[in-house]
Amino acid sequence: MKPAMAKRRGRTGWLFASPALLVVAAVTVFPVAFSLILSFCEVKLEYGGLRLGSPTLGHYEALLTSPEWYRALAFTLGFTIVSVALELVLGTVVALVLERLGAARGWILALLLLPWALINVVAAQLWSYLFNGTYGAVTWLCAQLFGGQPDILGEPAPAMAAMVVVDVWKTTPFVAIVVLAGLMLIPGDVYEAAEIDGANAWTTFWKVTLPQLRPIVAIAVLFRILQAFGIFDLPFVLTQGGPGTATQSVAILGYRILFQNLDFGGGAAVAVTTAAIVMGCCLLFLRVFRTQVDEGGQA
Amino acid sequence: MALNRRALLTGGVSTVAAGLLSGCGGKNLDDLLTQAATTPNSRARLTWWVSEIPSRRGAVVADLIIRAFERRHPGIRVTKINALSTSDGNRSAIATQLAGGSPQPDVYLGDTTWPAQFGHSSLALPVETLLPHDFWDAYPAALRRSSTYQGKVYAVPFFTDSTYLFYRKDLLAKHGLRVPRTWEELLHTSRTVQKSGDIDSGFLWQAAVTEALTANVAEFLADAGAPVLDGQGRAVLGGEKAERAFSLMAEFTSSEVTPRSVTTYEESDAQDAFVSGRGLFLRNWSYAWVNASTPKVSRVADKVGVALRPGFEGTGRSGVSCAGGWSNFVNPSSQELSAALEFARFCAGDEVQRLLAREAGVVPALTSALRSKEARAAGDPTVLRAADLHLVDRPVQTPYYPQVSKALYTPANGVVGGDLSPAAGVRAAREGLRKALEGKAQ
Amino acid sequence: MSRHAPRTGVRRYVNLVNLGGLLIVVCTTLPLLWMVSSSLKGPGEISATPPSLLPDHPTLDNYDIAFVRNGIGRYLLNSVVVASASTVLILSLAFLAGYALARLPLRGRGAIMTALLMLSVFPPIALLVPLFLMERQAGLLNSYPGLVIPYVALNLPFAIWILRNYLSGIPRELEEAATVDGAGPMRTALTVILPLARPGLFTAGVFSFTATWSEFLLALTFNGADDRRTVPVGIALFTSQYQVPYGVIFAGAMVATVPIALLVLIFRRSIVSGMTTGAVKG
Repeated sequence: MKPAMAKRRGRTGWLFASPALLVVAAVTVFPVAFSLILSFCEVKLEYGGLRLGSPTLGHYEALLTSPEWYRALAFTLGFTIVSVALELVLGTVVALVLERLGAARGWILALLLLPWALINVVAAQLWSYLFNGTYGAVTWLCAQLFGGQPDILGEPAPAMAAMVVVDVWKTTPFVAIVVLAGLMLIPGDVYEAAEIDGANAWTTFWKVTLPQLRPIVAIAVLFRILQAFGIFDLPFVLTQGGPGTATQSVAILGYRILFQNLDFGGGAAVAVTTAAIVMGCCLLFLRVFRTQVDEGGQA
Repeated sequence: MALNRRALLTGGVSTVAAGLLSGCGGKNLDDLLTQAATTPNSRARLTWWVSEIPSRRGAVVADLIIRAFERRHPGIRVTKINALSTSDGNRSAIATQLAGGSPQPDVYLGDTTWPAQFGHSSLALPVETLLPHDFWDAYPAALRRSSTYQGKVYAVPFFTDSTYLFYRKDLLAKHGLRVPRTWEELLHTSRTVQKSGDIDSGFLWQAAVTEALTANVAEFLADAGAPVLDGQGRAVLGGEKAERAFSLMAEFTSSEVTPRSVTTYEESDAQDAFVSGRGLFLRNWSYAWVNASTPKVSRVADKVGVALRPGFEGTGRSGVSCAGGWSNFVNPSSQELSAALEFARFCAGDEVQRLLAREAGVVPALTSALRSKEARAAGDPTVLRAADLHLVDRPVQTPYYPQVSKALYTPANGVVGGDLSPAAGVRAAREGLRKALEGKAQ
Repeated sequence: MSRHAPRTGVRRYVNLVNLGGLLIVVCTTLPLLWMVSSSLKGPGEISATPPSLLPDHPTLDNYDIAFVRNGIGRYLLNSVVVASASTVLILSLAFLAGYALARLPLRGRGAIMTALLMLSVFPPIALLVPLFLMERQAGLLNSYPGLVIPYVALNLPFAIWILRNYLSGIPRELEEAATVDGAGPMRTALTVILPLARPGLFTAGVFSFTATWSEFLLALTFNGADDRRTVPVGIALFTSQYQVPYGVIFAGAMVATVPIALLVLIFRRSIVSGMTTGAVKG
């Protein structure tokens, strides 16, 4: 390629990318920066609205010395790891099954998307209904299976398990679809080559399919981590964070600090620390998965 | 270059922040009060943030009130904004708008637990100087206390919620039992009827980790005569009386008079279980009467009776009820302060309060409306008996009320679930209260 | 289609794949069936024990309440407008940006991708107050753009990531052939890449649409006026402090799910046709 042409293509690259980037920047840069500022300032509420006071590290100090924050963090991390791992495995299996299904695939895909498409709050309410301690179908089923009067959402371990089940039910389809789209991209000749080499289905999956899927699966997992870490609707509707504070996620804690306690600085500090932790997790994950942010781009 | 760019960015953000906040903050209270004291602009446009008011006969109560106001004040137009009815959803939306200095809504309906916190955060206009001196004589003293913080009043009364003991008339009659006057008797009665197999649960109430449980805890503590805060607002929860209250909550579940799942019950769950015929007794707010006695919703519609809550044996105290309800607040950023105040006062006045007695499934705040001919015609026992109640406050006179409430409901939930002993629950609650009152809790 | 050997005999029908498919369908739909059936139950039956799978006395009362008394139709229209507009914008912008980031020489590609990720890790509740201030200043409250603009911005990062990765996987030779024919980047992107990118666009599109369709917090705070409310907020309004009317909520949810189901059914072909991507190459 001639240098002039390369330069022109470079300009075109920016031309193509800039509308999207500008929109993102216009909407998010200020609020993110604003939250950062709030988290490092005394925030005063006065007649007419909130006002920034003198700089302080107090919000972070309060947070980092709060046992409740650590508990919320532990719950959120545990929930994220367990549910994302389950969704990844199940989602890949579902995608592999779907890929092999013939004519029915389109229909099953449509069905699969329904839980994912269900409005979050409504999905939480549906399960809250199913888990209801008095007349819930799941409660009834458990009573038939194990006897007694199960109180699924009233005890810590079952309540956490219930949340994982609901999350897996709702989001495995999403992972499956992302993985399926990745499967579609694997060229047929790769499989043919494996077949000629005499590889069995299992080896083919580990040696051929999975490595090819890696970049797209990495993205699915990355964004699932983001979402799972922000889990809010499920505990909010199902348990309000209880029993005790067993299922209080970081997002619920942040929400309470912000909108119940009206502590805007403290709420911003929760947001900033959460963002930092999630960012750390994501970078760690990318490294472990050996996926580079710009891998697959023009060399 | 890099430094330059960063400087530019920081500067830019600060400028934008300053610009956006320029409309915010820094307003002088005296100016606002002067403005509010003027005669309302006769062409004012008001917005009223109002959640669903339970209706007795299907009419949209808020619309009736607006129409009545506009009849008295031709020229002023009021637009209703439907707020979420769940206290949490309502609160996050209104708090965002008020903290953002939004001039709308001009008037908002808020919970009676909000005044201290909203007042402290300058999200509500103090109205005590704008009301006549004898204004509060016509309303329950508990409502005045919960609307007041550091001598200033931040809410104008609208309606109250009180709690009662709902019971199954048919089952008590069948077993020849009377309505229990004490908790000990209630436990005994429940067990008798439960043993006969006529009912699943004895007593349904609310013990989920929400404000619903705090209200219950406050009532049980008041039943036992155990104070939560002293006169100076310090945490004094503790001692035998407090433990008696916590022990009772534990006994309900351990004796299976109350199902274990009560630890996930809010008001609607307990009410659902009761109206589907699963409980002998129900502790709930007054509005449950409308649902429990409506055949379309309730399987036990003609079998429900209402009594005052029992007390503890030997204390001579019963009929305790939390002072709940909703009041109107004036948005300090409103452009029409005087019209907004006029509207809030109108809602507290005789015409609207009688209208509430006639049309709404709530208890009017105005004491005289409880005995009005409208109230008598509606025949709602929760309204007619409201004057007999012994109203108690939750510890709401602190800007940290949400944290205080959490400090009460979190250990109480553990006690009800059997994870904490009553004594440990009381200790945890006191510690939590201390931290919360210092503003050091989340 | 030749990547998996064809099965013969009974195993054409009874095999692990089909059984797996069946299991997936059952697990996914059972809770949903429960929702459908409960939306047809009256107030007594909905809380009956033991719970019944099918309603004994099916009634449309809940739908009547959702539509007539609570006017969910208006909210539905608002949601369709907001979610469709957001999705179209997201896909157009993300396709161009994804193509540029995948294929065009762009300085700072890694930094851009990381920055996009960083912006999307920020918890949305913390953005609420500053966004509200911005919208109020810009006069965007209670308007469609007031929701579409933040929705586009908040969902673009994921769409860009997924499309960039997808587009990177498309064989380069196809594009080079077009360039040799003298097509500029725009024409190459639209005529060569776009048709091949359908599975990726489908994924990003479904994600964006559902995300914007079910968004609650911004919709609740920014569009308080009744004629601009969206479905999730409308459904939340059903719940009173006094009662959780599950039947009516589920009826509303059914209505809210229909447009998505339709959308998926219409576009499901694009993911099926994605199979040909491999064929083009193979």
